[in-house]
Amino acid sequence: MRKKLWGAIAFAGALMTSVSAMAWTLEEAAQPYKGTNIKAIFLDRPGYAAAIKLLPEFEKKTGIKVNYEIVPYENSRERQVLDFTGGGEIDVVLTDVVWIGEFAGNGWLEPVKTFTADAKLADPKLNLKGFFPILLESFGTWGDEVYGLPFDNYSGLLYYNKCTLQQAGFDKPPATWDELMNVYAPKLTDTANRKYAYALQSRRGETQSADSFMRVLWPFGGSLLDDKFKSNLNSAQSQAGLKFRQDLMKYMPPGIVDYDHAEAVNALAQGNVAMITEWSAFYSTLSDPSKSKITDCLAVATEPAGPAGLKPALGGFSLGVNAQSSDAKKAASWLFIQWVTSEEMAKPYIEAGGVSGRTEVYKDADIQKRYPFVAPMVASWDGGVPDFRPRFAEWPELSEVVAEWGTRMMLGNVSIEQGAQSIGARMEEILGQAGYYDGSKPLRK
Amino acid sequence: MSSGTQPGTPAKPAVFPTMWNNKRAAFAFLAPAVAALALIGIFPTVFALVNSFRRYNLAKPRDPTPFVGLDNYLTVLYDPSFWGALGRTFMFLVTVVPIQIALGLIIALLLHKPGLSGFKLLARLSLVIPLATAPAVAGLIGRLIFNRDFGVANAVLAFVGAGPVEWLGDTTNAFIAVALMDIWQWTPFCALVLLAGLTMVPTEIEEAARLETKSRWQIVRYVQMPFLLPSVTVILILRTADILKMFDTVFTMTRGGPGAATELVSVYIQRVGFRVFDQGVASAQAIMLLILTIVLARLYVKYVYREV
Repeated sequence: MRKKLWGAIAFAGALMTSVSAMAWTLEEAAQPYKGTNIKAIFLDRPGYAAAIKLLPEFEKKTGIKVNYEIVPYENSRERQVLDFTGGGEIDVVLTDVVWIGEFAGNGWLEPVKTFTADAKLADPKLNLKGFFPILLESFGTWGDEVYGLPFDNYSGLLYYNKCTLQQAGFDKPPATWDELMNVYAPKLTDTANRKYAYALQSRRGETQSADSFMRVLWPFGGSLLDDKFKSNLNSAQSQAGLKFRQDLMKYMPPGIVDYDHAEAVNALAQGNVAMITEWSAFYSTLSDPSKSKITDCLAVATEPAGPAGLKPALGGFSLGVNAQSSDAKKAASWLFIQWVTSEEMAKPYIEAGGVSGRTEVYKDADIQKRYPFVAPMVASWDGGVPDFRPRFAEWPELSEVVAEWGTRMMLGNVSIEQGAQSIGARMEEILGQAGYYDGSKPLRK
Repeated sequence: MSSGTQPGTPAKPAVFPTMWNNKRAAFAFLAPAVAALALIGIFPTVFALVNSFRRYNLAKPRDPTPFVGLDNYLTVLYDPSFWGALGRTFMFLVTVVPIQIALGLIIALLLHKPGLSGFKLLARLSLVIPLATAPAVAGLIGRLIFNRDFGVANAVLAFVGAGPVEWLGDTTNAFIAVALMDIWQWTPFCALVLLAGLTMVPTEIEEAARLETKSRWQIVRYVQMPFLLPSVTVILILRTADILKMFDTVFTMTRGGPGAATELVSVYIQRVGFRVFDQGVASAQAIMLLILTIVLARLYVKYVYREV
């Protein structure tokens, strides 16, 4: 009898859940917000162009108008912080992995639970566990609270020109950084003809600090900070990584300290360099025949491993809701974010040029076949470092210091040791003032 | 006694009503301009001055913003990066301004010569183009011109068998490249101001001088130059102020790099004010820069400005 009762309860529960799942539709959820205008901040990158292509479908279904402003990455934090502090117009907040501590810590982002607790707004198929854990943790979560859903997702990948490698006698990409420099690079560099083995985007700014400097710390077992938030840059492992970068420069194009993403991608696309380590999002650019001369020779692999193993660069952005927006705009923004990052939209998003953060879509054989970057990217996310860059509020300040001194190191204006000491001293000063050393702030990164 | 018009005497011409002749009329005309100036000029300056005495970080809205006296100014005084940026800015100033004045003078003298009026009109109009270009756009153009692989600068060098030069990835060359863009953009301004100065030279004096000597240099040195000193003073004041607050071109062209090679003081202040969001220290830096600009302007007026 008891068995039957529990069975009936379970059946009723399953039925109710399924009815509720069937009952919830985006159109009905959006009905009260029809005609609402919301504003989002986008970047000039493939993931945003993909979302823009999909927007008409959302607007047609919901009647919610999504306005967007495209800003350069370097100005995007400034644009949003000024908006938060000045009481502005942004509803859909774009949060870089390194801003989550600042945006969430300052109360500028509405916790996701506000919406998931509301049956009218929460899609029963939302499935937060369907995101790659590393992405949801890195870009969307601060202090065990989820504030945003992974939207524009990156892993560092090794893009290479397989034709050039084959001509040099290599039938596969380098598996380790050591192999890249000591085996591949000498054979792939022809300075007289301005052909280089590798380009590492190192322009001053976040490109220097995140893409160049941090990229060589982790694989060599180094890191920016130790467990007590003191500088770890003068450890043997960090020094080895930074010295490696310096040695590798002789196989990079001259003026590499002025290379941003566009220049590095273009150098590979035009056949001037054989390999680059760039974000997964640039696959669509490199495979576009109107922008790339090497589409037939383009191949992708995981970043080379270092002595500490595979520690690829991790980056990306989540979309969250501005805590200062009106309730209607908050709801409309949530519906948009939930829809654009949903499992249902993952495939259309990828097909439009984006990189979804959903796990299921990458099990699709068709997607795996059409997008060769998928397998190495999934492998990278499975083994990546969630705090590849510290995510606390002080990172932008640290990033400025790292960017300045990291470039000076590469230019040879200061030695690796001196540069590391200078960064370390300034970094500890900033973190000390922030209260990490006197216990007034938790050591969370 | 009547003060009315006497019969037979001609009527006085109509005048504005008395109301418009008094102080209120002047006030009414001036008020919009003064209000706009107060709103967009004086208020932000006073706001920055107040901020410069407070601990105030926009990115830390929960922190208190107490008055801290001269702490922010002391921070600036002991900040080697600020002094480095300021030194670089002065290096930039003494590099570009003399070249701009010299080139501007040559252009102005050519345009001042009699004849070829149609051609000169065209030249004058084309001088306005660099001035009308937004500095951020000038920086982006510079980035293309000085690109190592497909830039015009290296193409020209290749044509004469030189190069390629690594412009933006080398500390010295990046500084030179930014200086060249500034010279391109602002030499026309100097030329137009000096041309206006040349028109102040009385024609008869110039003609008399031409009869006295065939030396073009002597005419420039002893006849035209004294009339040009007020124009030179104006150029010095405006270009100094411009360079001390030069940001857009540098930011779009080099972002202050490589290293800190092109980090002029305004780029540094922007970093402090809008990357670190330390409004207190950034305001103190800006106020110090304002004081410096005023002092330099006074020195220019004292030592350069002369009226004939």
